[in-house]
Amino acid sequence: MGNRDDSPTATIAETRSPAALTRSELLLTKRSRRFRRLGSLLGEGLLFAIASVSTVAVLFIFIFIFKDALPFFTLRGFKEFFTSIAWYPSADPPEFGALAMFIGSGLVTLGAVVVAVPMGVSAAVCLSFVLPFAVRQVVKPVIEILAAIPSVAYGFFALVVFAPLLQTRGPGLLSVAIWLVGVPIILLGAVVAGGLVSRRVSGRFLLAGRTATIVAIVGPGLWLLYRLSGGIRGVEVTSGTNALNVSIILGIMALPTIVSVSEDALQAVGRELREGSYALGATRAETVLRVVIPAAGSGILAAVILGVMRAVGETMVVWMASGNAAQIPEPWFNYLEPVRTLTATIAGDMGEADHVTGSARYHVLFAMALCLLAISFVANLASELVMRRTRRMLGGE
Amino acid sequence: MESKTQLGTRKLLDRSFTGLGVGSIVLMVAALIIVLGPIFVRGWGSFLFRATVEHRQMMLENFGRGDAEVILAEAAAAEQARQPVYVMIARFEEELDEMGSPERREYRGYLGELKDRLRELLGPLPGEPRPVLPRSQYGQTRWDRAVVKLRDVLYVEEYDYSDPTRMGQRILVPRVKDFEGTSLEPLFAYIEQNLTEMLRPRVTFYWRFLFDTSVDAHFFGGIWPEVLGTLYLTVGAMLFAVPLGIVAAIYLAEYAGEGRIISGLRSFISTLAGVPSIVFGLFGLAFFINAIHISRSKSVLAGSLTLAVLVLPTVIRASEEAVRAVPQTYKEAALSVGASKWRTITTVILPAALPGILTGIVISMGRAAGETAPIIFTAAVSVGRPLKLWQTLTQGTPALPWNIYNLATEHEAVDEIRHVQYGMVLTLVLLVLLLNIAAILLRARITRKLRG
Repeated sequence: MGNRDDSPTATIAETRSPAALTRSELLLTKRSRRFRRLGSLLGEGLLFAIASVSTVAVLFIFIFIFKDALPFFTLRGFKEFFTSIAWYPSADPPEFGALAMFIGSGLVTLGAVVVAVPMGVSAAVCLSFVLPFAVRQVVKPVIEILAAIPSVAYGFFALVVFAPLLQTRGPGLLSVAIWLVGVPIILLGAVVAGGLVSRRVSGRFLLAGRTATIVAIVGPGLWLLYRLSGGIRGVEVTSGTNALNVSIILGIMALPTIVSVSEDALQAVGRELREGSYALGATRAETVLRVVIPAAGSGILAAVILGVMRAVGETMVVWMASGNAAQIPEPWFNYLEPVRTLTATIAGDMGEADHVTGSARYHVLFAMALCLLAISFVANLASELVMRRTRRMLGGE
Repeated sequence: MESKTQLGTRKLLDRSFTGLGVGSIVLMVAALIIVLGPIFVRGWGSFLFRATVEHRQMMLENFGRGDAEVILAEAAAAEQARQPVYVMIARFEEELDEMGSPERREYRGYLGELKDRLRELLGPLPGEPRPVLPRSQYGQTRWDRAVVKLRDVLYVEEYDYSDPTRMGQRILVPRVKDFEGTSLEPLFAYIEQNLTEMLRPRVTFYWRFLFDTSVDAHFFGGIWPEVLGTLYLTVGAMLFAVPLGIVAAIYLAEYAGEGRIISGLRSFISTLAGVPSIVFGLFGLAFFINAIHISRSKSVLAGSLTLAVLVLPTVIRASEEAVRAVPQTYKEAALSVGASKWRTITTVILPAALPGILTGIVISMGRAAGETAPIIFTAAVSVGRPLKLWQTLTQGTPALPWNIYNLATEHEAVDEIRHVQYGMVLTLVLLVLLLNIAAILLRARITRKLRG
């Protein structure tokens, strides 16, 4: 491509005054024009080739993971892998049931979603519509740093700080958390119900009706909370490395993704929509809940999908702090029991399987990786489709 | 009246909605502080701590540091303070020989136990051969650990199972009870009162923690092999990812149209960004090591290549954004004075986009430095020496993220070397944070410049 820089016109232009140039000198000859074109085509081709390295990488990842996963499925079939919970890869005869890992991955991801999605979305809403610019300037770096902390540091925190805390003070902390979440919800619910009642009842019963409703909701609600927290206080946490620990940490890790992607989606909603809603007399909450979030819904969905992917694919935290027991908790929502995930199994078992390349024990890990890859591929595709649709919808209207 | 209460409820809901958002943000900030707090507070403990005379002796013998005369004199003074302990034990052993058989056996057991604890606290007892492992050649090198070991000397840990409904409760029974009525009884009070003289703690700033190799699997010494390994891996990954990423970004921003192929290309880039990191690790093992045999087994090269593939999407995206952010007028001006497209890109667009590209590179470096899963199978080894540059082609290396995992879960004495683990985490987090803060500052400068 360098040939274009020292083309004849350039050198002439530097040595002679422009007025002295003749027409034939200014125009490129046919040959050099063709040469130039070829050069630029070649150059562009080269650029395209380099740009497609990531495509090649994705294809190679699929091919090589698939190639090493295939022997497992030809050797052991599909049924055991997907339906059995017996995971004894080093026993004789070995068993390769990965169901517990799939469920373990699902459980911690669900937990992370419960922690991260409400917090993330409301933080994003708050950042884009409520807080002044100066506060945003402070919060943005916090989110970036939260995203930048290496996963092994989170894992270390989960294992060394959080797990012992959960083990010794877990029930107390949990019941405090229940009160903190429960009381505002109950009070709000009571006020809303009171408002609804006051719409029906008129005149002198208004005050009495409202009070009665509020009392009727707050009383049993508080009693329920009391029972719930009492029940939790009695629970003995046998080990701090369990699904709950991992879920909370994964939730924190997924937060930055959810906040920043859903904030982008919220920002993309036009000002006119919001202003229209305000003009109709809606409060900010009503505008956000009824107008902005529906309009940005698919973008928020994409954010949630990306956050979920962060949780599913995370290795170090779950490997260090999930307890790594290949079992399904009993009952399934018992988050205080240890679980084991796909990623942690790959990371943990490869050390032993490494020396026996070619065995089912080695290839089963690639089978798990293939499943992870498939999940992430589908999720990624889904989030992309969803985002593209939003862009088209918001751009078109 | 009706609409008024209605309005009140709506306002309340609005307020609580705002409260929810603010609460979430506060929680997020709190999470950051709670996670980083212990790491920062305890992480400094591996750099700044009260080092005992054993530490100085260890430094002298293993690293040749310090004034030998001064340290030996101090060690002699410490030995002086310890002498009564050893004398009491020797006298008690003499008494033992005169005791009856069952009594003697019982006391022998107690004494053996006590001596083990003393060895942990003060190092080998006089007259014993020098142990092979450095960890048993010295007593406690850190005062905070010495205090823990002192408790082990003074108390016996027992579990109380008297309440069947609860887990066993740990209780501490004074060890002096084992030796009640013997000549060893005053020993415990003596140790408790004179520990300072026996170990002579002094506040020490051990900045060389970063640059020392470890002695005896991280019992003593520093973390240089890990730090260097992380630097190698990060720089190596950038060497591969940055040129590829920038060229790809230029193509996407300046040459590519909106065709189907290009949108496919973009999908593949975002797919690559979504692949779980552990899958990258398996891919690196299956492709770079097992398929194309870039090295016989784990190597820094294989790890760097794997990390390069991992950060490639980040580099491409950031660079593309930076290239696109260059004002159109720059390009038009360059083209209008007769510069070719490629010349415009190299002399006008790239320099203008450079800060933005740098931001992306710095963030990717942070990512590459902190990733663990991709290097488990491709580069990371648990114990190793600092590598020379040419060795990176063929040998694996210890690296901060991997060794944090390894020391925190698989080390034989996890509790003994907590400070090393914290020190490593602090180093890694600081490294990543500094990179990210650099990126944030860089970006702030760009925004200011663009605003004019």
